[in-house]
Amino acid sequence: MRYLETFVAYFLAIVWVIPLVWIVLNTFQPNNISSFSLIGGNWTLENIKTVWEGAPFAQYYLNTFIIVTGILFVQFITITLAAYAFARLNFFGKNIIFLIFLIQIMIPADVLISPNYLILRDLSLLDTKLGIMIPHFASAIGIFILRQTFKSIPYELEESAKMDGCSLLRIIWHVYVPLAKPTFLAFSLISVSYHWNNFLWPLIITSSVENRPLTVGLAIFAMSADTGAQWATVSAATFMVIFPLVLAFFIFQKQFISSFMHSGIR
Amino acid sequence: MFKSKLFYIVMMIVLIVISGCSKTDESKDVSVKSSDNDSEKQEEIELTFYYPVQVGGPINKIIEEIASDFTEENPHIKINPVYTGDYDNTMIKTQTDIQGNNPPDLAVLLAIDLYTLMDMNAIIPMDDLMENDNDADEYVSDFIPAFLENSKADDKIWSIPFQRSTPVLYYNKEAFKEVGLDPENPPETWNDLIDYSEKLTVRNKDQVERWGVQIPSSTNPWIFKGFVLQSGGILDENGKDVYFHEESVEEALQLHLDLAHKHETMAKGVIDWATTPTDFIEGKAAMIYHTTGNLTNIKDNADFDFGVAYLPANKNYGAPTGGGNFYIFEGISEEKKEAAWEFIKFATSAERAAQWSIDTGYIATRESAYETEVMKEYLESFPQAEVAKNQLEYAGSEMSTHNNGEVTEILKSAFQSVLTGEQQPKEAMEKAQQEADKVLEPFRK
Repeated sequence: MRYLETFVAYFLAIVWVIPLVWIVLNTFQPNNISSFSLIGGNWTLENIKTVWEGAPFAQYYLNTFIIVTGILFVQFITITLAAYAFARLNFFGKNIIFLIFLIQIMIPADVLISPNYLILRDLSLLDTKLGIMIPHFASAIGIFILRQTFKSIPYELEESAKMDGCSLLRIIWHVYVPLAKPTFLAFSLISVSYHWNNFLWPLIITSSVENRPLTVGLAIFAMSADTGAQWATVSAATFMVIFPLVLAFFIFQKQFISSFMHSGIR
Repeated sequence: MFKSKLFYIVMMIVLIVISGCSKTDESKDVSVKSSDNDSEKQEEIELTFYYPVQVGGPINKIIEEIASDFTEENPHIKINPVYTGDYDNTMIKTQTDIQGNNPPDLAVLLAIDLYTLMDMNAIIPMDDLMENDNDADEYVSDFIPAFLENSKADDKIWSIPFQRSTPVLYYNKEAFKEVGLDPENPPETWNDLIDYSEKLTVRNKDQVERWGVQIPSSTNPWIFKGFVLQSGGILDENGKDVYFHEESVEEALQLHLDLAHKHETMAKGVIDWATTPTDFIEGKAAMIYHTTGNLTNIKDNADFDFGVAYLPANKNYGAPTGGGNFYIFEGISEEKKEAAWEFIKFATSAERAAQWSIDTGYIATRESAYETEVMKEYLESFPQAEVAKNQLEYAGSEMSTHNNGEVTEILKSAFQSVLTGEQQPKEAMEKAQQEADKVLEPFRK
């Protein structure tokens, strides 16, 4: 039985890693399928060079970084306060409002493109990074998972802090936030990967290079309906877009996994 | 320790966000200033130009070059080219802008989006601008007639052809030699096609090592219209009539089914568009139907000699055209419309059209482009490129109707359900015809 489990685990791991390996191999081999090989082969940086010169990737990296961190930072503030309110405070219509928040999870983001666009136009935020970020400043899913975590934190901790004369914000900052660290980490993973990969919304509301994210650079190479796929450059562009995320994951791997274990045990 | 670290991280993020916001403020300031300058220097015009890239490469560089070259010749007009994804993304962005009363000045969109844009009252007919331009008639009549077919509606011209293509037959000359076929004589008729594909298919026991022919069917039924045209049909007319339930359509479907099931020289089911050229380059398919846009890709990557030929004929030769045209939008000032018209003429001038064709693999849209030196040289070194141009003599329009997306989807799903064997050709097309009629009814008043 244990061998079977190990086998299945390895099997799934291999299935998951194949596309990644394939992308890396394609990225560093010449754009000629017949000379493609798993090991050996001709290694080249030509594809990376073509892609890097094809679009202002340095600017795009910076933009994506600003957008992703900006959204995450504001989300942390909004979801912490909202989650605390839903978990611990009593106010009129609390359950109904919470229900409305949950319903929002089910609305696909693409449906909101047009109304959001009109609002941003009225605020004259079209073609700005702030415009890309604003609709995502609150997150229903974040509020939901954080509320569940806050609810599981013993109320006695808050009471004793109160006895010591702690203000409400300090209670949240010193009692709830540290204890919910694994949840914050898990949520950052969801948020960062979503906004890192978001394409259509930024494409529609921005027009200038100064405000557009990495995915727009990727699209130049990935969208090739008139010629059919050109794997080498598509792979190189994909590699460049996902590389920072993959690298970050490898570096923080231990923290991520232990954070999920913590939240699991609780 | 932890606290102070966290503090710094938070501070950093705050700074980043602030700098992100302040940058946008700057850009706003700049635009305000430049509009001040406009009124002083009178008539400085800025045009926003949306364009898609569909060929998977840094084409944006070429577009930006065309724009800056234009400004050099016309210093009072500045073009801001904006890359907008593929055709679908470009259309979504444009439509959103139009709903927000904030349209771009000009854009390259699919030629077949004409009726959708007309129904939104989003575009202006080029005739408005041609009236004031003495050379306009000469200019328009220089375009290859097949490319203009999707530009015309209500006796007006609504768009100017830019990045256009047509499907051709690519064939592997070495495979031809190997099975004793003359590599200089590609199949000319459907019977030839069946015959040749049987010879070219290579099997190893039950495994097919090389298909005789591969006709992609995963995207919209673009190539499919070619088969209908070859059988003497027209498929659609005037944007409000479609003829799905006709003999020509049935013959076209039957050919697909015969190749896959009776002769077994083509893979069964729906064949993917994007990987078809790769299969050809890898030698897994001896003949493929694909767009001329792929010429450069195949030339660069195939390590065998290949030929390009007309799509084989049934009753006659036939092929659809495809690709994107320039549109000018409603709701912008007269000066901007004039400026946009000038830019379109510049971007489609004979030399530009020739160079654009060489760089991208699209077909040059104007007869005079083929008179230029660069084009003559190019065709001499690469005669395959001329085949597509010559085939245009037999080419027709691409399917284009009101509510085009919906009607195309109806045909596509009927077509694919026949390929996968879910439905018989006759009943599938009868149903598709009824559905399409329902969609188009309101436009037939």
